[in-house]
Amino acid sequence: MSLAVSVSLKIPDNTAYTALVALRKLGVEVDRVERSEVFLFDDADAGALVARITADEMIFNPNKHRISVLESAKPSWGEVWIEPISNPERIAVAWRLYNAHGAPVKRPVLEMAIERLLCNPAIDRAVTRDLFDRDNRTEGE
Amino acid sequence: MSARIAVPVFPGTNSEDETARLLRDCGGDAELVHWSRAQSLSSYDAYVLSGGFAYEDRIRAGAIAAHDRIMDYVIEGAQHGKLIFGICNGAQILLEAGLVPGTGPIRRATAAFAKNAPEPHFVCRHVYLRLEIEPSRCAITAALPPWALVPAWAAHAEGRLAASPEHLEQIAAGGHLAFVYAHADGRVDDAAVPNGSALRCAGLVNGAGNVLAIMPHPERDGWNFNHLDRSSDDDVLAPSGGAALFRSFIQAVS
Repeated sequence: MSLAVSVSLKIPDNTAYTALVALRKLGVEVDRVERSEVFLFDDADAGALVARITADEMIFNPNKHRISVLESAKPSWGEVWIEPISNPERIAVAWRLYNAHGAPVKRPVLEMAIERLLCNPAIDRAVTRDLFDRDNRTEGE
Repeated sequence: MSARIAVPVFPGTNSEDETARLLRDCGGDAELVHWSRAQSLSSYDAYVLSGGFAYEDRIRAGAIAAHDRIMDYVIEGAQHGKLIFGICNGAQILLEAGLVPGTGPIRRATAAFAKNAPEPHFVCRHVYLRLEIEPSRCAITAALPPWALVPAWAAHAEGRLAASPEHLEQIAAGGHLAFVYAHADGRVDDAAVPNGSALRCAGLVNGAGNVLAIMPHPERDGWNFNHLDRSSDDDVLAPSGGAALFRSFIQAVS
């Protein structure tokens, strides 16, 4: 079973803020942007993995990062994982977009953000909840 | 009156001084134009986008800069036939803006200078660019001899041309591959390529031939003092091989 570990900043995320400003300028109706790095692992023990990542301090700095194990190894609604087309290291950047009511943005808004800024299809793949569910649907579903 | 060349400066650009200086040394009338004066860009005749880390490469190299107001003027200029020359981060911005290879809509990238391969590390290495097109195919290279070799410094972590097989085919078949990496004697093989670039690409040109994007820095081999193979007899302040491409650019805009 895949396990997804999210590492995000607990200090202000200037890149997320820049993305917010740029997306608004590009006509995407978004009120808040959050960003994190997602690391995917197979057959890992969640507790032991987080303990090791935290202790190693290679991808995690306790002074500026927070770490969490995601409930499921797939994007949430209103979220896109941008990953390299060739992704042997299984790392993605997760962008979560919220509307003015604090709710995840609807699919058309997310798709607009992906197309206009967040993904360069020459090198990136954008994985959304819809795409993930479609690609991982088991036969007979 | 000589043509006026703008070297736009984004937040994070860092190679603007040597770029403008070499343009001037080659006879050009070059000025730095900072992002806060973007509206003045329409009065210039040509644009040179220099290296650096525009907007700190946030999201992707060149992604934010491609949507900056500066690029509104650069894109409009390109569409009116003005000459646009992008170096390193400037080249990445031109790809993100869709100006090169120019096989898709504006501001929809069809290719990228992606992370180096096989190791995704920063590379700093002296290289040679070999002209792969007829010199006249691109106005900026028109004064170079056929198969010209231009010395330069590759200094990037994201310089590998990447695109879908269909777009790579369009680049190759459409005459967009302006420069490839080569050895000092002009031979081309994988050992000359510092970053795993597809097609051994070091530079791309658009269909109209007025927009050129190259990853290595010829301005860092613009004078003998920063040329790797200089002899002790050379005047250290005299122009070196990288200046040839700048001279060709100046001839084209003059």
